[in-house]
Amino acid sequence: MTDFRLHGSKVLAVSLGGDAVKAKNGSMVAYEGRMAFKKLTGGGEGLRGMVSRRLTGEQMTVMEVKGDGVCYFADEARDINLVRLSGEKLHVEASNLLCTDSGLRTGTTFTGLRGASQGNGLFTTTVEGTGQAALLSTGPAVLLRVSQGAPLQVDPGAYVGHQGELRQSFQSGVNFRTVMGEGSGESFQIRFEGEGLVYVQPSERATVGGDL
Amino acid sequence: MPFRELSAKLVEAQLVPGQRMFSQRGAMVAYKGEVSFTPNIQGGQGGFGSMIGRRVANEATPLMTVEGRGTVMFGHGGHHVEVIELDGDTLCVEADRLLAFDGSLQQGTMFLGKDGGVMGMVRGQMTGQGLFTTTLQGKGGAAVMAHGGIIRLPITPDHPVHVDPQAYVAHHGDVRNRLSSALSWRDMVGRGSGEAFQLELSGDGAVFVQASEEKL
Repeated sequence: MTDFRLHGSKVLAVSLGGDAVKAKNGSMVAYEGRMAFKKLTGGGEGLRGMVSRRLTGEQMTVMEVKGDGVCYFADEARDINLVRLSGEKLHVEASNLLCTDSGLRTGTTFTGLRGASQGNGLFTTTVEGTGQAALLSTGPAVLLRVSQGAPLQVDPGAYVGHQGELRQSFQSGVNFRTVMGEGSGESFQIRFEGEGLVYVQPSERATVGGDL
Repeated sequence: MPFRELSAKLVEAQLVPGQRMFSQRGAMVAYKGEVSFTPNIQGGQGGFGSMIGRRVANEATPLMTVEGRGTVMFGHGGHHVEVIELDGDTLCVEADRLLAFDGSLQQGTMFLGKDGGVMGMVRGQMTGQGLFTTTLQGKGGAAVMAHGGIIRLPITPDHPVHVDPQAYVAHHGDVRNRLSSALSWRDMVGRGSGEAFQLELSGDGAVFVQASEEKL
């Protein structure tokens, strides 16, 4: 049985009993017991996944870790958030996905204009199934709840992932000030409506929208 | 024990007269009381011979001697700091990761080829340690820096630990290490998992691992 545990906020300890997990390539820092590492081409989604990842630019270099013992993962001292899924779908940027359980499937979906404003392309990664996933965030992530009638606006650079029944739209506040180079740096937002949870990090990636 | 962790990135040391302490030069952030800081040209203990040894071994980090009465706070570059208490055993650590340590600890340099022959030297190159590493021996505390948090993994004779060379920080106790490689044809064709080399530590002691694969 795979078990995800956090050692502090920046190291993930995964106990494996002969099964396998998928993890970001090169993120292992230590292990006890016996482990084998194998790179999965195309995110381990088969030939079709490989082609669609190439085409969508949502590249994810993933390795399969299989063995018996405890494996420790960490990535550039970024914070780790554990998410437990039981059938629902989690959307996350490929660069923010550290590790997924063998019970979870990954794929790609179209996100529209939002992706382009994040500097992440037009596609995002989805994780679905039953099991645990570990997300990376720069600084501890906050979990914001979205409910009917209370939409949430998020800076594209601070967005980490979301789950639940959410519709997302892209809104811009570009006005003549932005054109004059006097923008507030907050010209683009992603708007979430519906019921669900959004993960936001206390740091902003460099995005196209952030410069405006 | 003179070191106390104030936060994840700051340690406080108690100083009493007659006891001295070494720290990386410029790592003091604040102090209370009567404390003097003198640059240590020899780069640590052991007199002129050891100084030459450290220079040759490229383990000569500028150190200063801290003496007096009071409390001193140390921090450097926003790196995480971990206090490691030694009770007679030996700590192996890179000189530039060493923030401050007790004057009661014996400082030395160790040739990596010594406990691993040619592979030890290869290992040093792989981990970015070079051919030499600094050892501290005795009773006392040492403050060690790392990028991101540090976790401590115990090593027992029937329970070896494998560590990513880039995430390795330090180890103490009676530990043997060797570089194990899992190179396969996949790495040759650029399809490696990024985990081709691992440091295998076995024996009796503990290893400290940082939450990042970045060097200081």
